[in-house]
Amino acid sequence: MVKKHGRRVDVLAKITGKAQYTNDMSFPHMLYASTVRCPNPHAKIISIEREQAEQYPGVVMVITADNIPGIPSQYKQKPILVPEVVRYEGEGVALVVAKSKVIAAEAAKLVKVIYDELPAVTSAEAALGKNAQKIYDDGNLLCKYKAGKGNVEEGFKKADHIFEKEYRTQRVDHTPLETEAAIAVPTTEGMTVYAPTNDAYKARLLIAETLGLRENQVRFITPAIGGSFGAKNYDAGVIGARSALAAMLTGKPVKMVFTREESMIEGTKRHPYICKYKVGVTKAGRITAMEIDLIGDGGAYLSKSHPVATRTLIEASGPYNIDNVKSKVTLAFTNNTYSDAMRGFGSPQVDFASEVLLDEIACELGFDPLEFKKMNHIKENDISGVGQVMTDVSLGKCVAEAEKASNWKERKAELASERNKGGSKVKGIGFALIHRGEAFGAAGQGIDTAEVQLLVNNDGGITILSSMADVGMGGHTMMVNVIMETLGVKRERVVMAPVDTSYVPNSGPSSATRGTMVIGNAARLAAEEVKDKLAAIAADVLGVLKEELVFKNEQIYSPGKADEHVNYQDMINEIFARGQTPSGRGWYTVSGLDWDRANGFGEAYLSYAYGAAVTEVEVDLETGQVSVDKFIAVHDVGHAFDKSEVIGQINGGVSMAVGMALFEDVDSKIGHIKNTNFDKYLIPTSLDMPEMNSIVVEVPTKTGPFGARGLGEPTACTAAPAIINAIYDATGIRIRELPANLETMMEELKNSRNKTDLN
Amino acid sequence: MFKYDYLRPASVKEACELLALHGDSAKVIAGGTDLMVQIRDEDKKWANIKYIIDIGHLKEMKYIKEDGDSICIGALSSHTDIVKSKILQKYAPFFCEASSTVGSPQIRNMGTIGGSIGNASPASDPVPPLIALDAEVKVVGTSGERTVLLKSIFANSYKTTLKVDEIITEISFKKMPTEAKSVFLKLGRRKALAISRMNVGVIVVVDSMGFVSDVRIAPGCIFAVPDRVKIAEDVLLGKVPTRELLVEAGKKVSEEMINRTGIRPSTEFKKPAIESLTTRALSQALEVE
Repeated sequence: MVKKHGRRVDVLAKITGKAQYTNDMSFPHMLYASTVRCPNPHAKIISIEREQAEQYPGVVMVITADNIPGIPSQYKQKPILVPEVVRYEGEGVALVVAKSKVIAAEAAKLVKVIYDELPAVTSAEAALGKNAQKIYDDGNLLCKYKAGKGNVEEGFKKADHIFEKEYRTQRVDHTPLETEAAIAVPTTEGMTVYAPTNDAYKARLLIAETLGLRENQVRFITPAIGGSFGAKNYDAGVIGARSALAAMLTGKPVKMVFTREESMIEGTKRHPYICKYKVGVTKAGRITAMEIDLIGDGGAYLSKSHPVATRTLIEASGPYNIDNVKSKVTLAFTNNTYSDAMRGFGSPQVDFASEVLLDEIACELGFDPLEFKKMNHIKENDISGVGQVMTDVSLGKCVAEAEKASNWKERKAELASERNKGGSKVKGIGFALIHRGEAFGAAGQGIDTAEVQLLVNNDGGITILSSMADVGMGGHTMMVNVIMETLGVKRERVVMAPVDTSYVPNSGPSSATRGTMVIGNAARLAAEEVKDKLAAIAADVLGVLKEELVFKNEQIYSPGKADEHVNYQDMINEIFARGQTPSGRGWYTVSGLDWDRANGFGEAYLSYAYGAAVTEVEVDLETGQVSVDKFIAVHDVGHAFDKSEVIGQINGGVSMAVGMALFEDVDSKIGHIKNTNFDKYLIPTSLDMPEMNSIVVEVPTKTGPFGARGLGEPTACTAAPAIINAIYDATGIRIRELPANLETMMEELKNSRNKTDLN
Repeated sequence: MFKYDYLRPASVKEACELLALHGDSAKVIAGGTDLMVQIRDEDKKWANIKYIIDIGHLKEMKYIKEDGDSICIGALSSHTDIVKSKILQKYAPFFCEASSTVGSPQIRNMGTIGGSIGNASPASDPVPPLIALDAEVKVVGTSGERTVLLKSIFANSYKTTLKVDEIITEISFKKMPTEAKSVFLKLGRRKALAISRMNVGVIVVVDSMGFVSDVRIAPGCIFAVPDRVKIAEDVLLGKVPTRELLVEAGKKVSEEMINRTGIRPSTEFKKPAIESLTTRALSQALEVE
């Protein structure tokens, strides 16, 4: 593996066990809080009896929504504690604060809550139906958006074949190793909260609102984070605010750590989607029109459902060149756990649908699926499904790499002839292609910003100040690399400051694959400011124009006169000697996108990431078992700051998507989650992972730092469709509803046998 | 959280006496890999538990040895001990294979064969091979010891016929003849750390003329109590094995499943799966394509 810049920022602390996670920390006189949860998915609170719990030895206080000095939540956002109506099972209605974790948990059972049960609505379709039980006074519609271009009716007229298909994706949990945790410590100024989160500033805001404090009275510190995948966004704010509320009311430090069961029951999930497509295709295999109807389950509260809905709307037509596209998305409130960001932020749902859809069409029309997608995919300057001119398009390169590494044509034929020999286990090969808008895009303009500061010391050491959470993706290492590459300094000079909202500026959340693109750019701009200050002096000393200067290997020189150079350290000394500071500040904002929100047309994202995948699976026709044997994942990262980080990121994303394809499914048909721990909620083990071949493509963009593209989420988008397409190649059965677990596989295999028998 | 006292007797005898004294309010653990998880989950079944009697440290029950034409396994042998045992690898390889598929390395290090039997889960992996081997168990109580067929230990799913003061101390079975072939197959939801959706242990002996002289078919997960399936074994016994006969034997296993447990929503999945798992295990053992 290529080792470009040395080790990850946090690796030593993590592998030596010295990294401090929230649960590792404790404070003198610390108390523990436990949540009292509602056992019904929809209910009105009539009364809460605290006395019995209060009298339990060791209990310090019982807290309900009435005790909140600020507000329980913004409208339609999940309340810290439910004031009146519980909207999903497991929501917190009270807190018990006690001298130990065990006492708090035991006493929580003694809080008697009387509920008036209400009918529960547990699917998006039911919620949007006529006469459905209302979850909010104004109904169950969470949001509705439309997008498209051209005229689909005209497009369908030009088609020789019309296809109508429907796909469904399931509710999935993030399952980070570390569950939600927080410790709040009261201070003379206000409150200090330690908690793992994707977004320290957002969590701080939630806490300040709960406590009725100004934001800067709350100091939010992020210790080491044991994974997130989107699970530590709003959920982190909730547990942070609960512990802060308890700390404020008791005047003591308060710790809360969710058990895995609590995390499964109360934590956010991936939005389940129903994706309906109507597609027109010519005999020659050109797609003339695509009409898309998406229905998503937002769960009980808003969270980030709006941007997730927008993304699915924009990406649902896939990375294809289609003249006429009409899409709409409708998200419903339901009495399920609220849906929020999860690695992919909506993309995996529509990528599954559109990539299986095109595979189906190709197979039904007699095209090779890879060739069919090659024929239709977007090329440089083509127009996207929402009317955006697409640039820096590397789909061709990604497909070519995947095709080459898999030896697609030959391998497909080889597997087909193997299958002809018979046997109870059959192998197949599948392909998937994706595009994915980077960061929040047009829909998030105004909030998609980042600030990064660089503190430069007399000895030339640089400290990065940023609230970016490194949730495991290596974001901090990325920033260090950006600084090193911009200033040409040694790795040892650069240090990442701890994330503490009292000291570091707001870089926004680690979500939507915006880290490298948005925060990386802010880091680059901060480094540019430092560079500019040093260059002014260097140019003076060297007698050249400052624009000519190159910063490399701790030296600054003009390429024309490379033998005449000054040292980085000397310039630092000089700038201080002149009574100036070399420190710098960078601010980056996603702006200038021309997007017609009402009609869903225009420039949706500043840039896109591209990827392709080929996988080989083996299906046991007699037991329904699917084994993913090989996986080739090709991702264009624009510029790889560290290849081993990139490959690690890809492998991790694929493992999550293997889970989504084959095993994972939050079993919550009636609003009650049955699989609340890892004995029943199955995620892939290392043995379930395929042999990985991760291929890094580097076609730079005009927007990312050094041309880099984000990678975190695209890695989780290709595997589900590629696996499902490979299952079809192997067996001729088409799975349209995830996951392809044993029962689904057996049923589909049986149906397909029955069909064959009839013929 | 359930609260209980933790007792650590110095001998099997003392453990039995504690059981006799505390009756149903006490429960024995060895590795604790089943019971402690259920107690953490506050499984209502254990709501009245007052004592946990830990016998995991009684090393005298941790052995695997040959005794003439028998193999004797101390009840406290861990799954890992069984997987690594040279004796078992030689005389009952499919039992080692089955034990190697239990949970994860951590669970296999802690969990014991005696505990697995005592838990009486229909989805146990090591039990079907022991049933195929016609294993016996030695149980000790305050009134002495008795040796019974392993099969007779199971009363129902998660229920044994053990008396309140009895502890399983040893499992034994006759060595398989050297010409015997054994196979264990498991169907789980993923490749590791998966509870069996279905499994099967088979033993076959083919005589010099090519006839099946002994056959044992012991499926797991499909009956409330584990058992060999005689009607399936009869299909093969005394015959020259053919593909058709193996398929037929598989069908007999699913027939027996339906006879014993009736048609359930899961039958649609289980019927074809157990048929093919059985046929596949037999074909591997008999080397019939």
